[in-house]
Amino acid sequence: MENSEPKESFEAFTKSFFYGTRSDLSFKFLSDLSPEAASSFLQDLFRQVVDAIDTNDLTRLKLQMVAGQVAGYREQKNFDYDQGPFCLPRAPLSDLKISLLTSSGHFVENDDPRPLGVENMTQAEAESRVFDFLKEEPFLSEIPFDTDVSRLHVRHGGYDIRAAQKDPNVSFPFEPLKALKAEGLFSDLTPAAYSFVGACSQKRLLKKTLPGWVERMKAAKADAVVLVPV
Amino acid sequence: MSVGHIARTFEAAEIATVVIAVKSFETRMRMMALPRVLLTPELMGRPLGNPFDKARQKNILEQALALLETATQNGTILDLA
Repeated sequence: MENSEPKESFEAFTKSFFYGTRSDLSFKFLSDLSPEAASSFLQDLFRQVVDAIDTNDLTRLKLQMVAGQVAGYREQKNFDYDQGPFCLPRAPLSDLKISLLTSSGHFVENDDPRPLGVENMTQAEAESRVFDFLKEEPFLSEIPFDTDVSRLHVRHGGYDIRAAQKDPNVSFPFEPLKALKAEGLFSDLTPAAYSFVGACSQKRLLKKTLPGWVERMKAAKADAVVLVPV
Repeated sequence: MSVGHIARTFEAAEIATVVIAVKSFETRMRMMALPRVLLTPELMGRPLGNPFDKARQKNILEQALALLETATQNGTILDLA
């Protein structure tokens, strides 16, 4: 008996990983690859899966994943500047006050930024509404450095947050930063670290938001800031 | 892109910055002419490496912070790949 259901093209299959029927934020880059490149990537990935099982070594499998993501993002060129500013720190590293700011979407329990006016938004809703986020001004959450790690939450519709849910330090490295301060690598930390959802309106960020963030950093007396995009 | 804009704005306001980004963002980082960037061979969403790998996380941060002392011009990129 003939199957009357329409056949899905390979291109439609790869596109479906980008907020489609197979949405997967670790594999959404497949939509940016040519069908030939996507086919080659998947074939190599399958080979690496079997090799990883045989050898009990995930190194090459991980590198295959990284190579796919690098290929997928290589052609994304939204902003192009010939030159940029450069500020020398005011003192040697050992005398600097350091801060941390990430676009990972972390916030402290009971201090939910309520994106898009939604109370207790789930990660699933953040993913389904990512294009709404891209129209909005970002909100900068303050996370005191003495916050217990168990009180940290993460939500972001633009990347796979599973690793960050297990250990926030993969994208919000506040604990290793505290350890390095204790070792005397630098002088001090600002009272709080900062995080926001990087999937936001770039125009509003540039024109409206950033002047206020500069003032907050200056009020915290930050000499230098570690920035982490995701 | 958001973090690139932040780096440029902070530097213009005389707040030094260093960016820790996954290798996938290399093109974006280069095109935004950022002052100091450390690229890591990690999966997206995990620029500091695997969960609970404290030694690796600390090592990456140390290398990033060192760029605050060693970089002498815009566009300094250290690629750990």
